[in-house]
Amino acid sequence: MANFAVHASADSLSNAKPKMDIKDLSFFYGDNKALKDITLPLFEKRVTALIGPSGCGKSTLLRILNRIYELYPGQRAEGTIMLDGENILDPKLDANYLRSKVGMVFQKPTPFPMTIYDNIAFGVKLYQKPSRAEMDAIVESSLVRTALWGEVKDRLHTSALGLSGGQQQRLCIARTVAVKPEVVLFDEPTSALDPISTAKIEELIDELKRDFTIVIVTHNMQQAARVADLTAFMYLGDLIEAGPTTTMFSTPKDNRTLDYITGRFG
Amino acid sequence: MDQGLYKRRMLRNRFHMAMSVATALFGLTWLILILAMLLIKGIGGLNLAVFTEMTPPPGSSGGLLNAIVGSLILTILGVLIGTPIAVLAGTYMAEYGRHSKLTDVVRFINDILLSAPSIVIGLFVYGIMVRPMGYFSGIAGAVALAILVIPVVVRTTEDMLLLVPSQMREAAAALGAPRWHVIRQVSYRAAKTGIITGILLAIARISGETAPLLFTALNNQFWSTSLLAPMPSLPVVIFQFALSPYEDWQRLAWTGALLITVAVLTLSIVARLLSSKRTV
Amino acid sequence: MASHIVTAFENELRDINRKVAEMGGLAEKAVVDSTDALIKRDTILAQRVIAGDTRLDQLQREIEEDAITLIAKRQPLAVDLREVVSAIRICNDLERVGDLAKNTAKRVLALKGEYQAPALLRGVEHMSEIVLEQLKEVLDAFGARDAVRAMAVWKRDGAVDDLYTSLFRELLTYMMEDPRQITMCTHLLFAAKNVERIGDHATNIAETVHYLVVGEQLIDERPKSDTTSMTSVAYPQTKA
Repeated sequence: MANFAVHASADSLSNAKPKMDIKDLSFFYGDNKALKDITLPLFEKRVTALIGPSGCGKSTLLRILNRIYELYPGQRAEGTIMLDGENILDPKLDANYLRSKVGMVFQKPTPFPMTIYDNIAFGVKLYQKPSRAEMDAIVESSLVRTALWGEVKDRLHTSALGLSGGQQQRLCIARTVAVKPEVVLFDEPTSALDPISTAKIEELIDELKRDFTIVIVTHNMQQAARVADLTAFMYLGDLIEAGPTTTMFSTPKDNRTLDYITGRFG
Repeated sequence: MDQGLYKRRMLRNRFHMAMSVATALFGLTWLILILAMLLIKGIGGLNLAVFTEMTPPPGSSGGLLNAIVGSLILTILGVLIGTPIAVLAGTYMAEYGRHSKLTDVVRFINDILLSAPSIVIGLFVYGIMVRPMGYFSGIAGAVALAILVIPVVVRTTEDMLLLVPSQMREAAAALGAPRWHVIRQVSYRAAKTGIITGILLAIARISGETAPLLFTALNNQFWSTSLLAPMPSLPVVIFQFALSPYEDWQRLAWTGALLITVAVLTLSIVARLLSSKRTV
Repeated sequence: MASHIVTAFENELRDINRKVAEMGGLAEKAVVDSTDALIKRDTILAQRVIAGDTRLDQLQREIEEDAITLIAKRQPLAVDLREVVSAIRICNDLERVGDLAKNTAKRVLALKGEYQAPALLRGVEHMSEIVLEQLKEVLDAFGARDAVRAMAVWKRDGAVDDLYTSLFRELLTYMMEDPRQITMCTHLLFAAKNVERIGDHATNIAETVHYLVVGEQLIDERPKSDTTSMTSVAYPQTKA
C-alpha cells in the first residue's frame, strides 16, 4: 500500500513533467518481497535522489528502471513503470532497447579492457553506424562533456585501464552519455572516489541535468542535498517520503526521515 | 610475555620452515636430475640430421623428421578440434548457464574426464573409430588428443570467465548490448590471456601423450601426412626406439625426449609469462 | 527524539544549549540588578553589574566558536542546523542585553547615586518589570522549544513600546519645567531606552524560537508602537 507524502511543488519542480512514472511497483527476490508498492514520479530533466539506510531497497529500485536485474535468475518485478507512454516492465519490450534509452553508471568504475576511444565507441556502435569522422566527433564531445578531454586527448588509443579512479569513472559517464539516453541512473557514483573527483562528478551531474533525467542513489546525505531537486527516502522496501530537496532536508514530514537525515537512526 | 612459550614457538617456526625448504629442495633435485639426464643423454644426438631425415631402419642413422611433423599435425589438429568445443562449453557454463543444474553436472563430469587415464581414452577412440574404419589413422589420433584437450580448456575457460567482474558485464549490458555481444566484446577480451594460457597448457599436456596414440594413430616408419593412415609421432617413436637394442635408435629416443621436454617447458614458461602480464 | 548515533555530536549540541541557558540566566540577573541599582541608587550593585558583563561576552564568543566548529565537523541538517543557528542568534541578542544593562549601571555611577524624581523612577521600574517578564518568558519558551509561548512574547512588545513613548514625553516635559533636572532626566531617558531595547531583543529571541521550532522565518511585521522618533513636546510660550 502506498505510504508516503509528496509535498507541494517547490520552484525547482514547478513546470516539471514526469519522464518516468513508477506505479505500485513491487519486487521479489524469490519469495522475499523487497519493494512494497512504490509509487514515485521521476521528473524530466531533474535530479531525483534515492536515500535511505542499507538494505532499504534504493539500489534495487534503481536496477529495475533499466531492467538490469533480469541478468540474474529468480528476481521479478510487478507493477508499471511508464516511459514515454510504454510500460517498461512489459516483457514484450526489448530490454536491450530499453537500456539504450536508460543508461547506468555504477559504483565501481568499470572501464572495458580496450582503448579509451573504443570504450566510448562500444555503446555507440550498437545502434548506430557512424563514419570514422562522426565517431571521432562523438568521442570528443562525450569526453569534453565529462571534462576528460583535456586529460586524455593525447592518449585516446591507449588502454583505459591506465586512468586514475576518478578519470575512469568520468570515462564510464562519458561512455554512457555518448549513446544519448534519455535517462541516466547513477548508483552511488562517487562512493569509491576521493573528494576532488567527487566534486568534479557532482559538477558534471549539475551540467548533465540540462539534457537528461537523472536518478541517483547515494549514501551521502549532503551529496543528495547538494545535487538533487527531488529526494525520496526509503526504508525497508517502503517509500516513506518524497519531496523537494530543500523541504526534505529542513522540515521533513515523517519522523523516520528526520531521524535518518540527522544521524539519529539507531 | 611468557619467555618459554615464545621460545617454543620460535623453535617450532624454524623447524617447519626448515622442513618446507628441505622438501622443496628434494622435489627440485629430482626435476634437475631429470633435466640433466635428458640433456646429457640427448644433446649428443642433436644434430641437423634429426630435423631433416626420417626415422631410420634399425642399425642405420637418421632423424626424426617424420615423427616431428606427425606430432605437430596431431597436436595442432587435436587442439583445433578440441578448443572450440571446450571454449564454447566453458562459455555456456560461465555466462549463460551459470546457475543451472546442467552446468553443475557438466562441471562434475569434466573434472572426472580431466583425470581420466589417457590409455582409456585411447581405447575408447579405438573402439569407436579404428575398429569401424578398419585401420589406424591420424584422424583417430587427433580425436583422441582432442578428447584430452577438452577438459583442460573447459576448466580454464570457465575459471577465467568467472573471474571477469560481473559489474563489467552489467556495464556493457547497461549500454544496450545483447548477451552475445557482451560475451564477445567484454568477457572474452577481459579473459583473453587466461583462456589462451589454458590452451597453451592443454597443448603442453597432449604433446607428450603416448598411450592414446598407441591405439589410434599407431606409428609410421615413413613419411606420412595422410590422416587416413597411421601417423608417426614423437612419443610413440621414443617408446619404440628406447626399448630397442639398437644404439642409434636409443640415441634418437633420448634426443626425441629432449625435444619434447624442451617444447613443453617452453610452452609452460610462455603460459606463465602471459598470465603474469595480466593487468586486470 | 532518539539521540544521535555519534555521542560526541549529541554532547556538543547539549553543551552549546547549556551555555546559552547560562547566558540567559546571567542576562536576566543583569537586567534585574541594573534596575535595582537604578531604583535604589546603589552604586556598589551597579559596579557588580558592570564587572559581570565580561562573563557574558566570553560566553558569546565561546558559543559562536563552538557553533562554527560543529557546523564544519558535523554538517548538521534540518532541526540540528536550526538549533545551531538559533544558538548563534540568541547568544548575540543576550550579549547585547548584557551590554544594555551595563550601560544603565554606568549611568547610576555617573549620577553618583544622587537623584530624585520618584515618579519617573517608578515609570522606569514598571517598564523594566514588564521587559524582565518578557525576557524570562521567551527564555523559557526557548528551553521548552515552545513556539506558541514565544509568539505570545512577540505580540506583547507593543505594550513596552507604548510605555516607553509615554515615559519619553514625561521626561521631556520634566526637563523643560526644571532645567536643573536635565542631567538626571537625560540619563533616565537613556536608561529607559536601554530597557526598551532589551524588550526588542526579547522579541528577536522570540522570532528565533519560532524559526527553530517551525522551520520557517517569521515574515510578519513585528508590532511596533515606538513613536518616539516622531514625538515632540511644544516649547511652552514664556513671558517676554
